[in-house]
Amino acid sequence: MKLRNGIATAWAAGLLLAAATTSPTVGISRDESVYVEAGASYARFWREALRSPGRVLELADHHYAWNHEHPGLAKGIFGATRSLLSGVLGWTGEVQGSRYGAFLFAALLALVLALWGFDLAGPLGGALAPALFFLVPRHFHHARSAVLDLPVSALWLATTYAFWRSTSASRGRLSTAGWAMATGLLLGAALATKHNAFFLPPVLLAAWLLGSIRGRKGEAAGRAEGGGPWAFAAMAVLGPLVLVASWPWLWHHTLPRIRDWLGYHLHHENYPWMYFGELLREPPFPASYPFVITALTVPAAIGVAMLGGVAQAGGRIVAAWRGRATSVSLPTEWLLLLNAAVPIAIIAWPTVPHFGGVKHWMPAMPFLALLAARALVTAGQLLSPRRPAIVTGVLAALALAPAAWQVVRTHPFGTAAWNEVAGGAPGAASMGMQRQFWGDDLVAVLPALNAHAVPGARIWFQEATTLAVKQHQRDGKLRPDFVVASSPEDADVSIWQYHQEFRDREFRTWTEFRTARPVAGAYLDEVPLVQVYARPGAWR
Amino acid sequence: MSQPPDHQGPSYKLPSPPPPDPTGWLELRRKARATFWPPRPVAWAGLLALAVAAAGLHGLWFLGSLPGRLPSPTDWKAVAALVARDARPGDAVALSPAWAERAREILPERLPNRPDVALPLLALSSYAEADEDLSGVRRVWLVSLPGAPGASPRIARQLASRSEASEGPLQVGRLDLTRYDLRSPLLPLHSFTERLASASIQNPGGRVVRETREVDLLPRTCIVVSFPGPRPEPATLAFQAVPLGRALRGHLGLVGDVSAGAPSVSLRVKVDGLEMGRAEARAARPGWSAFQIDTARISGQTRQVTLEVVPSGSLPRGVCIDLMSLP
Repeated sequence: MKLRNGIATAWAAGLLLAAATTSPTVGISRDESVYVEAGASYARFWREALRSPGRVLELADHHYAWNHEHPGLAKGIFGATRSLLSGVLGWTGEVQGSRYGAFLFAALLALVLALWGFDLAGPLGGALAPALFFLVPRHFHHARSAVLDLPVSALWLATTYAFWRSTSASRGRLSTAGWAMATGLLLGAALATKHNAFFLPPVLLAAWLLGSIRGRKGEAAGRAEGGGPWAFAAMAVLGPLVLVASWPWLWHHTLPRIRDWLGYHLHHENYPWMYFGELLREPPFPASYPFVITALTVPAAIGVAMLGGVAQAGGRIVAAWRGRATSVSLPTEWLLLLNAAVPIAIIAWPTVPHFGGVKHWMPAMPFLALLAARALVTAGQLLSPRRPAIVTGVLAALALAPAAWQVVRTHPFGTAAWNEVAGGAPGAASMGMQRQFWGDDLVAVLPALNAHAVPGARIWFQEATTLAVKQHQRDGKLRPDFVVASSPEDADVSIWQYHQEFRDREFRTWTEFRTARPVAGAYLDEVPLVQVYARPGAWR
Repeated sequence: MSQPPDHQGPSYKLPSPPPPDPTGWLELRRKARATFWPPRPVAWAGLLALAVAAAGLHGLWFLGSLPGRLPSPTDWKAVAALVARDARPGDAVALSPAWAERAREILPERLPNRPDVALPLLALSSYAEADEDLSGVRRVWLVSLPGAPGASPRIARQLASRSEASEGPLQVGRLDLTRYDLRSPLLPLHSFTERLASASIQNPGGRVVRETREVDLLPRTCIVVSFPGPRPEPATLAFQAVPLGRALRGHLGLVGDVSAGAPSVSLRVKVDGLEMGRAEARAARPGWSAFQIDTARISGQTRQVTLEVVPSGSLPRGVCIDLMSLP
């Protein structure tokens, strides 16, 4: 138990440290710029509500109107860490202060992965599972921004883990009821982070039902002997309670606002997205999209280990059904397998908008990491029963070394990270894939802007929001004398961030500035991500 | 329980003789099958270990070799110096792969010894004659990154197939530089886009300008006619004294990212008021559509050419039209 907790704590602390030290060079995406400001607004709500409890509903309407298309919990935590670290202590800038809230979620994800990995496959499993998740370049990128996809993935995993413990004999210090309560509370936290958590209870129910068919007898280590219904009751009661309690926007007009919130996501617009040289604009979208993008962005050796893990879980289920493997916990296998598959399958549905790289099915990835860790450990045990750790260690090194290299090589351009199967960024560009998205790569040309743009230059920042520009300026990364221009025609300097669907804006810049020659740029392995154009005389 | 006696007595069947196996292949297959099927857990583990090891080693090789496959800043500067030294009017630069647009930052945009002459940099996906006219271009300098992942000789082959001579490739570090002299360069008698300033224009509520705009993800320098109003009227562009040759050749396409429901645009080309041909740009078939109108019977004459642009609805971004008279 000491080793298990030690591994998990070390992973959580290590990840917090790695994220905190590397995130200052990561840019601000469109989403993040909004969430950072929303978090600040929510923090103001709590301060003012404590001072004037009688005005709480009025204050909620005012402060939580910011970005009310997403719930308030994660953004509230971003605001709390920003208030503490940037406001009270003055240790960080505004954005970095907000990001510490996101680091906490990443640390939670690492912690639960290590604990569950340990439970499934021993110390090596506990050590490997977080590595197999966080050394995927796009995952580590998301761990360092104050956005919602990694937090909801962390809470999805934590909820499922609590559910698993509530249905398991090895419950540790908590009773079945305790883990069931934890399941309900964590589901509420997940719902209060992002709407995709609504898909989790059906997945848990399906896993429980499938596991029940043959899983109640012959369970190894006494796993899965019941308790599931308690967790479902807790989820049904505590989930909505936590959602409403943690999101003051819902403290009145509750049902209409919930309807508006879900309606917004049910009718979410489709952003055009490049996929094999075609702009995906309207449904039906290719069902292959999430599978192909996963195969081309997860480092290949990790991807192979994940596939091996899925095959192992499938094999164990088949063996248990045939009565050949009495030591297999069917509920556990179904739980891991369905959680690894359903988030991807949801995005594969042809009418669901396809954009945003891997983040929309990220809740599946921790489960694939768990399965991969167990598969590598099992391979070591089978291939070298005397010294399994050596074989597993070698395999893990072969799987993780290129991944770690990719993390370093693609930093800070996480949304432009493509694996060796794709041929990296150049290979993906040749295939006509989306090169990057949502404005954070702007950060790479800020030093050139600061050094060369004329004083008071009007700059068109294209994909980066005005909020992000102001945040860069307040955090001292961008000169304060620059003015945000509304279009290339209105600008002295135009920053083109490579989005194929917006290329007309780059060519408008050429027309307006009478030049097609950039003055600066940011490239990943020769692939242009950002190019800066300037009017004659605007660049020194 | 005993079986009833078989009055016909026992029957015997000799086993069929094994098939001839002079190479030993069948025996080897039988043994392999006995060893690997049904697969034992250790075989699966070995397979997984092999696959992980192979993928991991490939990943290390890929990352280790990638910098050596891509050009350095010095390579780019050297190519820029060569092109600046040897380029002349009528030249253009092409890139392979097309995404290697770092070249825009480094290569000269104009001829150093003739600053009035542009050196266009093309980043097209195809250079086949059927896809691109390359009008006004006599020679193409192809800058290629042969070692880059995803690099292909397709563009070089397309240029070679429409060239009468080529020089190179000259290897400049990790860049290749090849010059292609086009066999039949398309040199227009008259470019309507370049002569837009001389046209008399009627487009109530809209704009008619010469711009470089995006059509189907590529830059096209053209006459952009926009129709921002809800019920736009047709636009008319009249060009006087246009020298005519064997044909009028043109392209048109809707500007920018076009949604499926966007209106269509019809272009009518009239010579001295008589309609000679028409073309259409539709959102359902986005792209840079080519059309050609035969003017051979009035070749060598100078006439008034009128373009009537008729939209079916509001088009704030507009339609991009390029038209030229071919000798």
